[in-house]
Amino acid sequence: MRKSTLFFMSLAVQSVLLIGAFTHAAYQHGRDAFILGETAALVKRLELTDLCLFTEARYTRHPTQADLHSPFQDHPLSFEHFPSGSLLALPKGIGGR
Amino acid sequence: MIELRDIRKVFNEGKPHALTAVDGVSLVLDARAVTVLQGPSGSGKTTLLSLVGCMARPTEGRILLGDREITSLPERFLTDVRRRTFGFIFQQFNLVKGISALENVMLPAYPLGEHHASLKKRARALLDLFGILPRESSKAEWLSGGEAQRTAICRALINDPQIIIADEPTAHLDTKLSREFMDIVGRFKAEQKTVIIASHDPLVYGSPVVDRVITMRDGKIEAAGR
Amino acid sequence: MGNWFERQRNIIDFTLSSLVRRKGKNLALLLVYALLVFLLASVMFFTHALRREASFVLQGAPEIVVQRMSAGRHELIPARYLGMIKGIRGVSGVRGRLWGYYFDPFSGANYTLMVPEAFSHGSGDVIIGQGIARTRLVGPGDVLSFQRYDGTPAILTVREVLPSASELVSSDLIVLSENDFRRFFGMAPGLYTDIVLTVRNAKEVATVAGKVQKLLPDTRPILKSEILRTYDTIFDWRSGIIVVILSSAVLAFIIFAWDKASGLSAEERKEIGILKAIGWETSDVLLMKFWEGAAVSLTAFLAGVLLAYVHVFFTPVMLFEPVLKGWSTLYPSFKLVPFINPYQVATLFFLTVVPYTVATIVPSWRAATIDPDSVMRS
Ligand SMILES: Nc1ncnc2c1ncn2[C@@H]1O[C@H](COP(=O)(O)OP(=O)(O)O)[C@@H](O)[C@H]1O
Ligand SMILES: [Mg+2]
Repeated sequence: MRKSTLFFMSLAVQSVLLIGAFTHAAYQHGRDAFILGETAALVKRLELTDLCLFTEARYTRHPTQADLHSPFQDHPLSFEHFPSGSLLALPKGIGGR
Repeated sequence: MIELRDIRKVFNEGKPHALTAVDGVSLVLDARAVTVLQGPSGSGKTTLLSLVGCMARPTEGRILLGDREITSLPERFLTDVRRRTFGFIFQQFNLVKGISALENVMLPAYPLGEHHASLKKRARALLDLFGILPRESSKAEWLSGGEAQRTAICRALINDPQIIIADEPTAHLDTKLSREFMDIVGRFKAEQKTVIIASHDPLVYGSPVVDRVITMRDGKIEAAGR
Repeated sequence: MGNWFERQRNIIDFTLSSLVRRKGKNLALLLVYALLVFLLASVMFFTHALRREASFVLQGAPEIVVQRMSAGRHELIPARYLGMIKGIRGVSGVRGRLWGYYFDPFSGANYTLMVPEAFSHGSGDVIIGQGIARTRLVGPGDVLSFQRYDGTPAILTVREVLPSASELVSSDLIVLSENDFRRFFGMAPGLYTDIVLTVRNAKEVATVAGKVQKLLPDTRPILKSEILRTYDTIFDWRSGIIVVILSSAVLAFIIFAWDKASGLSAEERKEIGILKAIGWETSDVLLMKFWEGAAVSLTAFLAGVLLAYVHVFFTPVMLFEPVLKGWSTLYPSFKLVPFINPYQVATLFFLTVVPYTVATIVPSWRAATIDPDSVMRS
């Protein structure tokens, strides 16, 4: 077979897969809307304000509720907001569990 | 018919090491004839061939292909004239390494947009004509000297050129293969093609198929062979 | 002059043949390239999906949260504030929220304790999030023992585990009754963590918040729109940083491609000379170079994007686990709802394929304009 045919075929297969990904996303979204709706209902019922992504500190667990002077206030999940933060080691007892 | 009028080619013009490789050559080369440019190394044979073959432009003078002036054509047209009119056989064969003999033969026709199947058919027919069809899928670097040259000849013929230009075609061939090459030149002639060869190999310029031998020296024509 | 499409295909044939010649090198290039696209696309898909999910789920968040501030810190809010806020026009409901953090020395994790408006179980019972169930290896009917503020043990029975589909918001939750909460932290009855309001007319939220602050200057109202915006910027910023970092990798890669294309080896130069000598035009050589760049980058691009999609939406996002875990012991395990849009894919395309292809063609220009007669001398 011609190499260009192989090339176009591989591009076509990949493109079809990409379209498949889009289709999957659209389809899955319809299905998962229900689950998301349930989660939203839970949020409403428990009056939650934040995502449970980072549980290590107050200002990372509830970035929207943190004090004004907490680190990371303007960009709560930034790598380090205060320059000193990058100089301080991990508090003892937290790491290396 | 190819006509050269007062052709001069100066390399590195205007610089201290400027060099006049072709110095005032006027010639009329007959169509459908085999012409050999003969002369010592450095006499300007290769340079003259490249001028005739539209590979380079002369510093001065004009070249006429039939009744068409080609010296003043823009590059694009020049390339087009070149690939439709000329087939080149180089001293080093200059096959592209890493791809098959067949692909090498097809290479000059790729940009012309010919349909692949018909191009492949023509290329294989040419390889068959020169007895190297069994080697069609061998990589260029695996071909023997004779096979490589035949492949290079097939490549020169793929666009069915009217004029075939060969620069020192026998330099890397033994006597037997050189004789075979001249037989092939005889076939070109029988097919009404114009052949121009630069060579200082007596096997070439002494061959009976040659119609005319032009002797060059220091960029000038020493003997026009007529 | 021939067929345009055939010309492209013929030249692609040759381009691929010549790519195959340096199989190892080009394959390595392709892999590195695909990896780069994969990383970029993973970050983009992940943060976009997370952001979208956050903005959907957090639609249920309270419209206004009122915090009391004291000496620059978040303070408990007295119950009498409830009555004062209730009197503001436009407020349809107020409720004191009780919630706090508990560091569990046993697992080394932080939990969020929370009292709901209506708790469906009794005293001594709790509902926990999946994350806690996982780290403490407990399920309904099991007992969790914690230490109260005064050192006395609190024995709590797990009654329910919140659905794993909601882990993104509930992984570390312990939902318990108000009595248990107050006893746990020794919090006097007249105090709450903060106050949440509902507003009659959604358009009046900002006005109401302004009135709250005027009436109670030591409070800070936090609006739902601010919550949503915070999450928007968090992910924008986070993914922005990662994209910037990765972009320098992309840049390095493109410089490498440029260097590779401009530093053509003698062999490649000779090859271009041969092509020119046998009748290829400069534009044909450039077309070949274009396809060389396009073949590598299109393949790597599509492969990288597809792998990233699978990685982000089908597997437990291995790559981001360390980032998500951070220092925490308890971290959510969640499956994102797939979300990609053509805009993201186009951005990735312009970030990777276009510069790479340009970087392979432009430097080839000089090699492509090589004189065709160069091969006749050597
Ligand atoms: N590109 C070039 N730049 C400078 N000098 C050149 C170039 N090409 C050929 N020459 C010189 O021109 C002269 C003629 O060379 P050439 O035509 O190759 O002779 P022949 O083929 O008869 O051996 C030689 O002195 C050679 O060194
Ligand atoms: Mg020579």
